Amino acid sequence: MSSGIIAVMIGVSTFLGALGLWALLWGLKTGQFDDQEKFLDGAKYDGEEELIDAVKMEEKKKNILKNRKDKEQKKYAPPD
Amino acid sequence: MANIACDHCHLEFDEKVMIKDENSDEIKYFCCKGCQGIYHLLRSEGLDSFYEKVGSIKLEPPKELDSDLHKFDLEGFKNKYITQKDGFNEVNLIIEGIHCSACVWLNEKILHQTQGVVEATINYTNNKAKIIWDEDSVKLSEIINKIRSIGYNAYPYDPKLQEERANKTRRDYYSRLLVAVFTTMNIMWIAIAQYTGYFTGIEKDMKNVLNISEFILATPTLFYTGWVYFKGSYFALKNKFVNMDVLVATGASLAYIYSIYAMITNTGEVYFDSVTMIITFVFVGKYLEVLSKKRAIDTMDNMMGSLPTELTVVENGEKDIVGIEEIKTGDVVEVKPGDKIVVDGIIVNAEGNFDLSSLTGESEPVFKKSGDEIFSGSVCLDSVIRYKIEKDFKHSMLSTIITLLEESISKKPAIEKLADKISGYFSFVVLTLSILTFIGWYIGGTGFEKALIISISVIVIACPCALGLATPMAALIGINSASKKGILFKEAEFLETMAKSDTMVLDKTGTITEGKPKVVNAKFLKDFDINLLYSLVKSSKHPISKAIVRYIKDKSDDLNEYFLKNVKNLEARGLKAEYENIKLFGGNLELIKELNIPFCGDFKNTVFIFVINDEVVAYFELKDSAKEGAKKAISQIKKMGMDVIMLTGDNEQASKEIAKEVGIKKVYHSLFPKGKAQMIDTLHKQGKKVVMAGDGLNDALALSRSDIAISMGSGADVSVEVSDVVILNDDIKGLAQALKISKKSYATIKENFAISVLYNSITIPLAISGHVMPFIAALSMSVSSLIVVGNSFRIKRLK
Repeated sequence: MSSGIIAVMIGVSTFLGALGLWALLWGLKTGQFDDQEKFLDGAKYDGEEELIDAVKMEEKKKNILKNRKDKEQKKYAPPD
Repeated sequence: MANIACDHCHLEFDEKVMIKDENSDEIKYFCCKGCQGIYHLLRSEGLDSFYEKVGSIKLEPPKELDSDLHKFDLEGFKNKYITQKDGFNEVNLIIEGIHCSACVWLNEKILHQTQGVVEATINYTNNKAKIIWDEDSVKLSEIINKIRSIGYNAYPYDPKLQEERANKTRRDYYSRLLVAVFTTMNIMWIAIAQYTGYFTGIEKDMKNVLNISEFILATPTLFYTGWVYFKGSYFALKNKFVNMDVLVATGASLAYIYSIYAMITNTGEVYFDSVTMIITFVFVGKYLEVLSKKRAIDTMDNMMGSLPTELTVVENGEKDIVGIEEIKTGDVVEVKPGDKIVVDGIIVNAEGNFDLSSLTGESEPVFKKSGDEIFSGSVCLDSVIRYKIEKDFKHSMLSTIITLLEESISKKPAIEKLADKISGYFSFVVLTLSILTFIGWYIGGTGFEKALIISISVIVIACPCALGLATPMAALIGINSASKKGILFKEAEFLETMAKSDTMVLDKTGTITEGKPKVVNAKFLKDFDINLLYSLVKSSKHPISKAIVRYIKDKSDDLNEYFLKNVKNLEARGLKAEYENIKLFGGNLELIKELNIPFCGDFKNTVFIFVINDEVVAYFELKDSAKEGAKKAISQIKKMGMDVIMLTGDNEQASKEIAKEVGIKKVYHSLFPKGKAQMIDTLHKQGKKVVMAGDGLNDALALSRSDIAISMGSGADVSVEVSDVVILNDDIKGLAQALKISKKSYATIKENFAISVLYNSITIPLAISGHVMPFIAALSMSVSSLIVVGNSFRIKRLK
């Protein structure tokens, strides 16, 4: 085998490995590994219901923000 | 009748004491109203799948909580714990009572269903929760009430104090570790090809490819992961001393520089694999240290969170609620029964019993009257009192203890010094030798290149590996065999320090004794209805009353609690009550004297006398007894050449009696936490190396001052965290065993040192004289390491 091929093979495999490492470090930086149990619990309990729950929470937040905006707009409405 | 399990908490009780609930489709049994309430609440909220998730895990039945909900909406609380984010409120809470992942699920679920809560995440590992909510839709007190309604409790903590910083460090170190492990694994298989090539011959091109790939992998390890060592060396050299960091940094970077030189000039072997391995192995130890600090901080947050944030200040007869930060000396503060004292002061009116157990560790309440000083950390037990503030919050006893603990988490001088001293001398000698070698050969006229190679082979042959392994390998095996016996050494170096110690300081309550008073003698002088006594003692939470309740429960099965009238705590004397025109009294000799009842006796122990209608009908003697095997363990410790001393917050007579029983001659009694810590300092001044064993929060300060701190597993959380060694099963025999293992491990460490010194003293002269190629140097290093590892395994044979 020529040394060129070896160089390519080592290069590619190290690059792929480094990609995986980068993904892991990114997950770590964004706090995804702060609670090791979360992953396992997710596998155990998360189903359709939990997904719906998450969507509902998002909606709740949006609604609150919307209501606030409406209120503010009403407050500053020019007198007619 | 058979025991059956409660359908909520799964604790088992006799069927006849259970609440039978026929409201649901099938008959359910509950141990208390609380469990029943939660069961129905979960069903009505559609959360009964909780019971499938929790399986048969036993939960804690809900506690009755004081109605202190209003404090969560107070201004002082808001300023301290609540932050604003995108127009929403955010609070960090610690949830009490989480046992399993199903509990986390339930809490998150109930919070998600609460109106106004937009985010709620709970960390199972440390039970900390982050909640974000809209203030206009819901109040924090309502959210807390939701958590309480399902049988858990929540209190706040301030993450800015320590946690944010600790989290950042932990993540940073973990990233560095990951990079190091990744590169080491990859370099190792390239190195195999290189070593094979060394023996069987390898093409120049191929060797270059391998060299360059190793170089690419070793570079991030040295400069990213190894950065902590460069930083450590910089500070060490700036303060004019040489430490392990300097050794690791110079060893690794010289090997790195030499390898680059060898790679470019094609003159020899590269040592990039040694570079990564040195860095990675030593870094694992550093990472573990960071992890243990993080856990300690979780506990500190727990302690601070349970403190009230506001106090009731009385001024000109009017009551006002003031934040603790704003309390000034001279203010008069009112506390109610059950309240925790947060600021030190002097009582101005009334009198009452105080639970000082978190300060002194002793279970007996202390009676305080007007003019007496009270310390923060104590709990008012039975009366409403007013006291004048003497010190502000920051200078009060409890915050002083917390601050000192915070400091002790970030420094451990005695232990670090020992490891640094040895490796410091070693690295200094090696560095000097290699410089001298270089100068010698250069002046001798061999030329710059050869002189450099020889001087580097001196460093490589003496690379920290053998010396570095000598301690951790023996320690690792020592720690492992200790943990199998229920003894937890938190760090490797503690074995070494413990083996070198010569004084063992023991706390009395909880360490030598059981920590709970027990009835040792009971005398029934007349026949009477035992339920009268049972009902009377049941009405009090005093440890003595509790001991008598336990005693009666042990002796008879069929007990009924009567409804007593006019139950009153007689401060520092006992109890009184009435039942259908029968007058009941229970208490100590002072109470009997006060009632003018003729009764006398010579009691060595605490006594509780029971009186019905002015007639003594029974008395009980109580004593806190020594743990089983205490005497034997202490004599074993003495045999190993240790000086044993007992420190206690208890009174003279009680402590001397226990000391005599277990064979301790030196006793210091009636000590406050600071007094205990001062004792440790005094011993240090006499040149002693002190091991201290304790269990209460009151010992935490002294534990943090001692060279080695041992805590009993069931003790206060903080003392477990500041300690270096934890005896998980609470067994005092573990103390002797821990000492034995540490001595054996230390002996092995010394043997390992001898082996590596022997190797070095043979190989270093050879290297200096230019007879060793860097490759042979690396090989000899590996052989010495293997022998060190083999020797360390002998610790396992210790019984």
